[in-house]
Amino acid sequence: MKGGSLLKPAILIVGIYLFLKFALPLFTAPLPASLIFLYVALTATGIVIFATLSGQSTEAFFGPITRFLSGEGQAGAMKMARLLVLVLFPLLVGWQTYSSTAPSEQPPAENRTIHPAPPGEFVGLSNPIPNTPENVMAGKGLYAAFCSPCHGGNFDGKGPASRGFNPPPANFSDPTTIAMLQESYLFWRIKKGGVGLSIEGMPWKSAMPRWEVELKDEQIWKIIMGEYDGAHQKPRTWE
Amino acid sequence: MKMLVRLKPWSIGIIGAFLVGGLLAPQAGWAQESVSVRAGLVKGSLPADDPTAAAWNGAPASEFPLSPQVHWPNRILEVTAQSVKVRGLHDGQQVSILIEWADPTEDPDDAAALEFMIGDKKAHFAHGQPMAQVEGGPVNIWFWKNKDAKILDMNAKGFGTLKSQDQQDVKGKGVYQNGTWKVVFTRALSTADAVNDTQIKPGDFINIAFAIWDGKKDAFGDPKEKGSQKAVSSWWYFRAEPPPDYSGYFYAALAVGLAAGFQFVVIRKLKKGAST
Repeated sequence: MKGGSLLKPAILIVGIYLFLKFALPLFTAPLPASLIFLYVALTATGIVIFATLSGQSTEAFFGPITRFLSGEGQAGAMKMARLLVLVLFPLLVGWQTYSSTAPSEQPPAENRTIHPAPPGEFVGLSNPIPNTPENVMAGKGLYAAFCSPCHGGNFDGKGPASRGFNPPPANFSDPTTIAMLQESYLFWRIKKGGVGLSIEGMPWKSAMPRWEVELKDEQIWKIIMGEYDGAHQKPRTWE
Repeated sequence: MKMLVRLKPWSIGIIGAFLVGGLLAPQAGWAQESVSVRAGLVKGSLPADDPTAAAWNGAPASEFPLSPQVHWPNRILEVTAQSVKVRGLHDGQQVSILIEWADPTEDPDDAAALEFMIGDKKAHFAHGQPMAQVEGGPVNIWFWKNKDAKILDMNAKGFGTLKSQDQQDVKGKGVYQNGTWKVVFTRALSTADAVNDTQIKPGDFINIAFAIWDGKKDAFGDPKEKGSQKAVSSWWYFRAEPPPDYSGYFYAALAVGLAAGFQFVVIRKLKKGAST
């Protein structure tokens, strides 16, 4: 019975672990350790079920384990290996217990949603200001006056006033900010500011001003134009 | 085949190691630097009104960057204080928080403030101003000014609502030495007024924010930084450390004992089975 060899299951488990841990992230986002553990545990369970389908395969699978653990006729390295397993197993259980019962020393985890959904009235608005060189220039001027202290003259979120704020001001040259948003989303963020965010966006932490208090809608639309142009990005569209 | 047989027991170890590794890995976590202030528990007296006491040397310092206040008018685009260093200590009854920042000149209008959320309600770091989609709470502000030589216990819920409390609970002192301000704020961990005062329960993380004013006079004889024109931070965390808890070691020892006992029973059973 070939399945009786423990080498194949070991290779299978290690292989699956390596695939999930290192190969899969090449194509998609890295898996959380808990999910990898779940998959590996499922694989191990499958192997045990497969190995115990018949009495013969059960003996072939568990025979070596039984012989190893009972320590019959072992000598040298094998004896040491058994001793090591017998000492390490209780210690690992102890460690696991300690780390799961010890009180957390870390501040609460923050799952802040960076781009929460906008209120309905800010979905699908299009920029009413004609995209002319004059308007783009005017937008850049307004950006320099009102936005650049935090978002930076280079549109990189590193303005002179940015360093104390947590979360940091958005970096518009990063392809994951304005390049993946529509103009109407920016209009909402600028007009209503940090305090306009929904609860997932943690509005109490945001330093983004509520610009509707100080700027006209027309100026906000021009700023959006200047921002995309200056950051060399294009608004996301659905076409 | 012989080769395979010889390798068998080792593969048990490999499978085991991966299972154990998977079990332990999710628990491992790494702390970011300076996201929180840790106020350690001290035996004996707190340096409650002494910013230069030797006791502070043993307290770990956290440093937080500051920004000019650009969030709401009147704004300011350049400020003197670039960061603030913060330490904390508590004795189970009182908590002392020491803040420290560089300022080239000592001026009567130099000032500093700590800000806290109160209870479970989230509050915006800018004076607890209203939020559109979240019902916010008030903030508790502890405000120190050099020329007043005292600390005001205040509340705000929105701009223009800053008000001093009737019941003043915060004491402290500022000392200026060699271009550095050191100001200590001291208050009881908990007070009778949970509506207006932040309550500090050892072990819990609460939100804290900082503000610094450089009161140096400008060309017109006005303080360079005043009112909303100040250096600010947004929210960070503060925790009064709980008394040491050794129960984790106890549970771990119990688990080691149980695992060893289980192992012993299983192996004895295996040996019996093998010999019959």
